[in-house]
Amino acid sequence: MSLLAVNTVDRLDRPSAYYVGKNKRRRHNDREEEERERVDPMAKLHHATTLYVGNLYVLNGILSPAVDKPLTHPRSFYTTEEQIHELFAKCGEIKRLVMGLDRFNKTPCGFCFVEYYTHQDALDCLKYVGGTKLDERIIRTDLDPGFEEGRQYGRGKSGGQVRDEYREEYDPGRGGYGRAYDEQRQREEEQYGEGR
Amino acid sequence: MADYERRNSGHRGVVVVVGASAAIEDYDRRPQRRRYEEPLFVQVRRQLLTIAESAARRVEDDVVGIAKSVAENYDDEELRDTMINISLDLVLEQPMKIPFVAATALVAHNIKPELGAELLQKAVTALQKYIDSGSWREVKLLIRFLGCLQPLFEGDGIFPLLEELFARAVDLQTASSEDLLGMELVKIILFTIPYVMSSSATGFEAHASALLEKTDIIASTPHALVDLVNTFSPEENESAAGPSLISVLQTQLQNEASQGWELKCLPRPWKDALEAEGDEQKPFDVVTKVAFPQINVPNPVPYGPRALFPEVYLSVYANQEVDTVPSISDIASSLLRDALVDTINLLDFNRVATAKYLIDVDCYYTRHTFVKRATPFDRMRDMAGDNKAWKPEDVAVDAVFSQLFQLPTSEHKLVYYHALLTECCKIAPAAIAPSLGRAIRFLYNNVETMDLELSNRFLDWFAHHLSNFGFTWKWSEWVEDLERPAIHPKMAFILGALDKEIRLSFAQRIKGTLPEQYLPLITESKEKDTPEFKYLSEGMCDGSPPRLTTTSTFPVTNSSTTATPYSKEGQELMQLIRKKAGDDELQPVIASIEEQAQSLGVDDPKVPSTDALMTSICFVGSKSLSHVLSCIERNKDRLLAIGAASEKARCQIITSVMEYWADQPGIAINIVDKLLNYTIISPLSVLEWALIEHIEAGAILSKSHIYEMISATVGKVTNRMRQIVAARTQKGLYEPQLSVLDETLSRERVGMQALFKFIEDSLVSVAAGSNDELMERGNGSGDMPEDLILRQWGRRWLRVFRRKAAVEEAFISDALLNATPVGTIAPVQEEVVDTVADGDIHIADADGP
Repeated sequence: MSLLAVNTVDRLDRPSAYYVGKNKRRRHNDREEEERERVDPMAKLHHATTLYVGNLYVLNGILSPAVDKPLTHPRSFYTTEEQIHELFAKCGEIKRLVMGLDRFNKTPCGFCFVEYYTHQDALDCLKYVGGTKLDERIIRTDLDPGFEEGRQYGRGKSGGQVRDEYREEYDPGRGGYGRAYDEQRQREEEQYGEGR
Repeated sequence: MADYERRNSGHRGVVVVVGASAAIEDYDRRPQRRRYEEPLFVQVRRQLLTIAESAARRVEDDVVGIAKSVAENYDDEELRDTMINISLDLVLEQPMKIPFVAATALVAHNIKPELGAELLQKAVTALQKYIDSGSWREVKLLIRFLGCLQPLFEGDGIFPLLEELFARAVDLQTASSEDLLGMELVKIILFTIPYVMSSSATGFEAHASALLEKTDIIASTPHALVDLVNTFSPEENESAAGPSLISVLQTQLQNEASQGWELKCLPRPWKDALEAEGDEQKPFDVVTKVAFPQINVPNPVPYGPRALFPEVYLSVYANQEVDTVPSISDIASSLLRDALVDTINLLDFNRVATAKYLIDVDCYYTRHTFVKRATPFDRMRDMAGDNKAWKPEDVAVDAVFSQLFQLPTSEHKLVYYHALLTECCKIAPAAIAPSLGRAIRFLYNNVETMDLELSNRFLDWFAHHLSNFGFTWKWSEWVEDLERPAIHPKMAFILGALDKEIRLSFAQRIKGTLPEQYLPLITESKEKDTPEFKYLSEGMCDGSPPRLTTTSTFPVTNSSTTATPYSKEGQELMQLIRKKAGDDELQPVIASIEEQAQSLGVDDPKVPSTDALMTSICFVGSKSLSHVLSCIERNKDRLLAIGAASEKARCQIITSVMEYWADQPGIAINIVDKLLNYTIISPLSVLEWALIEHIEAGAILSKSHIYEMISATVGKVTNRMRQIVAARTQKGLYEPQLSVLDETLSRERVGMQALFKFIEDSLVSVAAGSNDELMERGNGSGDMPEDLILRQWGRRWLRVFRRKAAVEEAFISDALLNATPVGTIAPVQEEVVDTVADGDIHIADADGP
């Protein structure tokens, strides 16, 4: 209820550096777009009711079963809609939930869009749910201008999310190493075996 | 603030690297970063924002230092503005720092009276604005700030303002015995007095006592609504039902007055500085006093945007063998709680920062208020009697729980308080986790008599909290309660908590966190992602094992040996729905079921056909919520027609969903919720389903997911009602829209009242033990041990929904007092049309005068 212009501590209900940066990069590339984008990117979020949710648990097909979840249970392959619903409904009624899917397999690949009925619910979600755990992973939330058809698919080379291609650390909850990284690593190992 | 810190540590980071590792220096050929002189205003801003935060620094030095920097550079406008603005921001956002901010202001005034005057002017402007808008918390904080500055003022200083507020309170109380705004004003007065009395001003004891004498009658008279918002209903637990916050405070202040206003916990930076500096410098001695600024308190004072309710004092650490938090007779309990609660509710936009302030609570009070952080409870026991000092973690956690358990509603969404506790636990696990453990034990032990809404909040928090910490809990300590009947509140809590854990995770995972004794509670069917389709019975099914029905929550009609009636049609229907077949293909199958039913003499043949349809939809859509939603969407018209044609069939829709997902009730109530949105079922049909058809003598009331479903359903109705009220009461509304909206409002209001009446009637029979099914149980006396438990569930439910009804009714009546009367014609002015066309619905004041 505070009517202050500036708060004494940072607010957690702001768009992330990723969103801001993404729009900046785009501006450099395209001069024409520049004019439009200058007013657009933040304004688009003024009434945003959608959140991008990332870092969900997902077990990608390609890896060894060296994970902490038993494989016999279907739910252990990825965080389900029901689990997401259970947590995110704590911030308000959910209008729509769109699971992020692998472009090729059409299986969940670790992100989703949650749409609320009100902007306030979306902001509250940033404040209260972003950075907490779901399915024992710390999830990331970001304000999103709104879901559009096609955005539910991963943009990575192998169908999943781009971030899962090049990750250099082993993350058992995201399919181990990055896929591209993993391929290269395996190649190197094979070559090493050949006595190089 | 985090920003400044980060930047700051960045500086330090560079210095450390250069100084510490000579080896790296050789390789680092980058030109050395130019020494960056921090502008003075940035430095002051940081010092002020972090005032009192560090136990390693003497806050008195910082207070004097900041004041000197600004006063001595009075011409630096940016610096001046920074100091003034940040001071007021802190007053309004971080109340625990008010005494330190005030001390800074006092010193600044002494060095440069113009600076003091400017700051005072700005504070008063803000205060006037908040008084005019009825923002009483902000008013309280600014008045507290002025109260700390009492030594600065001529004559009686702040007292005439307090007297004026009191006069308004009296007017309000005289006008209505139900008044709460007057109470709120008295609360402000009472919470100001201790800060005035702990300031360096002297000789105001008589003023304070006189004021206290007057407030006594208002503060000590219990408000009619106190029982309604009590953590414990006096009916269930007389001894645990807490007194109202304001009456507690009144008594504490009177005690304090009789003990010469010791106010041990409140910091007195002026005093400490004085003792340290000797006689030469007296930065806090006011030389030039000023007149107390003119503040206009309108008559009558306005209501604010938030509905007012009485508050009760809740401590989850009450009655421990060793006191870890100040007792209710100690003024510290109110002062600490008040400042912590305001901090919590004001800073909801950064739970990480808030958690840090909570952990740092010991920085903001006198040195001996608290024991060392993370002192184990057992150590407290050994130390007991030595001195009265409190456990900072307990005091902080207690304040969060008081807000999580605020009735009728908490200020922010409940999940905020969940997240805040999680954050505290992350920052200081060793200190906070044991405190939470003792809180959980207190709550669990009182789960039988606690307000039902609150025991459900406890349940929801508990499961959510554990989900953030690997689901670890010492379940073994509740093993004995597993012997209790399923309807016992403790057993119901355990069952509900496990279900919620599973919803956030999955059955197998939760099973792995439980001691052996609990394993039977998680049945095999709970581990299945796709429950059996009952029409696929033995011999016909595709090899899947028969369904285990013994542990099902609801009686299931089929057994593994005989085929479910209509199994052929059920399967056909399911295949058709899977194929996304059109209505004309479904119709013959449905007709076939209804014909058979007719020939079997079934009352309403639509019931079995609806069961087959809805069960098929659930089965085909069992893969995920979106699957079932698109299935429902495709068959929406048929489902809508069913409800319109037969009440019983509509009830069957709910039954089919609840039975299909009996082992995963979270999914069931989620689907019911969506069916309500599609208006396939009505709120009343959900209530009838639970409170009449499946009441089971009251046993259903023990199931936490049923409470969840009913609350959500009622919540939908009341939310809609509030939206209509908002539309009706928006400013600049004229005929003919006024009449249209007014009519809608009246109609919906009657509907809502009917809904509450229905709940009341159904529950009264359980509570009174006159429910037919209840009477038929056992020896028919209705007084068996289990009957007593059932009646208690009835009473607890009744309390919740009676309160809800009262709160909503009050909301509507209050809002309508401010509404434009029906029949008002728009004045012939252009701008008015604009405001209507704008269409923005503004929620009206929850509590218009």
